[in-house]
Amino acid sequence: MTAEEIIQTIRSQFGEAVKASEVKGVEARMDVERGKSYEVLVALKGMGLDYLNCISSVDRIASGELEAVYNLSSLNEPAKAMVRVRVPREDPVVRSVVPLWSAADWHEREAYDLMGIRFDGHPDLRRILTSEDWVGHPLRKDYQDERLVPYEPA
Amino acid sequence: MNQTDVIEPIHETMEEMYVNMGPQHPSTHGVLRLMLKLDGEVVTGVTPYIGYLHRCHEKIGENRIYTQVIPYTDRLDYLASMYNNFGYVLTVERLMGLQVPERAEYMRVILAELQRIASHLIWMGTFGLDLGNFTIFMYCFREREKILDLFESVSGQRLNYSFYRIGGMPLDFPESFLTECKAFLEWFKPRLPEYDAVMTDNIIFQKRVQGLGKLDQKTAIDYAISGPMLRGSGIKWDLRRNDPYSIYDRFEFEIPVGSTGDVWDRYMVRRQEMDESVKIVEQALRDLPPGEIMGKVPKKLRPPAGDMYSRVESPRGELGFYIVSDGSEKAYRYKVRSPAFVNLSVLPVIGPGHLVADMVAILGSIDIVLGEVDR
Repeated sequence: MTAEEIIQTIRSQFGEAVKASEVKGVEARMDVERGKSYEVLVALKGMGLDYLNCISSVDRIASGELEAVYNLSSLNEPAKAMVRVRVPREDPVVRSVVPLWSAADWHEREAYDLMGIRFDGHPDLRRILTSEDWVGHPLRKDYQDERLVPYEPA
Repeated sequence: MNQTDVIEPIHETMEEMYVNMGPQHPSTHGVLRLMLKLDGEVVTGVTPYIGYLHRCHEKIGENRIYTQVIPYTDRLDYLASMYNNFGYVLTVERLMGLQVPERAEYMRVILAELQRIASHLIWMGTFGLDLGNFTIFMYCFREREKILDLFESVSGQRLNYSFYRIGGMPLDFPESFLTECKAFLEWFKPRLPEYDAVMTDNIIFQKRVQGLGKLDQKTAIDYAISGPMLRGSGIKWDLRRNDPYSIYDRFEFEIPVGSTGDVWDRYMVRRQEMDESVKIVEQALRDLPPGEIMGKVPKKLRPPAGDMYSRVESPRGELGFYIVSDGSEKAYRYKVRSPAFVNLSVLPVIGPGHLVADMVAILGSIDIVLGEVDR
């Protein structure tokens, strides 16, 4: 299945929920609305993209949003997919994909810990890299640790 | 047992016991804490607690210009620094669309494959040590020392090389390198049967690890396991072959696979990968072309706005870098998908049902480096 076919299938199935899409080499990239992110990922998994490489999180502070990025691929064909989901900073909730891939468990815990995206339906959403009593989410662009004095080059 | 069951440390029955393995424990190869739930001597649940070595590597990467991040990538998987450099510079090059000269590509592959041998040697030595075989540890470190000498002659460093540059390589090989490298390979090849005599053919070792920590193919894909662990489960998947980067499509090599996915299979895959890496280095040395080693790179690196996820086959598995650029000199977002982090997450599935002493072997067979797990 080529990247064009993947995008075509997803677009025909979800229509308006796919806000933008792009083909880059063998990779199909798409921006998806949060309400349909889980269904899109289910459809992609059904197309054979059953290997979850990575879940990343990006702070889009200029537009007041956080972004979850899913990288999918397959062990049987060269096709890849990248799905981006944006959520508002005041209510950063995405539906968890742990029911689809167990690999998502630690990735989502990491995104929650460092970026503060909450994954609805995650069985055990705890901090993973920082300590349990940590305050704030260090990878956010506006994160400030008052214990640290900023370094000002002379 | 469910992967996400949290083991509660307070329990009043006599049958179950909770034991902390780590954070300071010789077999965890770093600061990893495992909470073991025991029934007598049998492990019934494992919960890993990580993050003791967390230093917010990704945040540092967002606050340095692209070239300044290279030395930090060394400290991810400090047993395979060359490979971290490789993965990082490759991602930035793909983001910018840079071309790397032929000779630099060959140099990269030679160093990367020597690094794979060195990394597997460390693994084999410490794995033997975990299981009480001290001899193999001394053998492996002796050979690794020679590889480090080669790296030192090239880069001046023995552990954290920072030797790859965006767009090429900073220095050519010294004149003596080619002869020394060939001499090393000639010396190294007869050493591999020695390891077999000490470890592989050792019936005590075989009986100890066969059938331990079985990982079936379905679970392996569900958990996105990669590298020798995935191949140990019988899936022939190697990014060097299946999603070739750099010039790996030019070399002939086998992809060793296991069958049942137990500790023994993972051991055999890594043991055989050393043979294959030797083959690749030999071919690369034979074909090494003369020429430039640094491509055309602008003074200030400003990749066009966009994002890129690219992956390489590090000694531990799929090492991915996800970089978001906003067109400035620094990455807007820099994320590392470390293979050891993902591979460790399957431990709560493959660990239970074995003895405490066997947990050491199972954990060792995952081949974790905590610098990379915790980032």
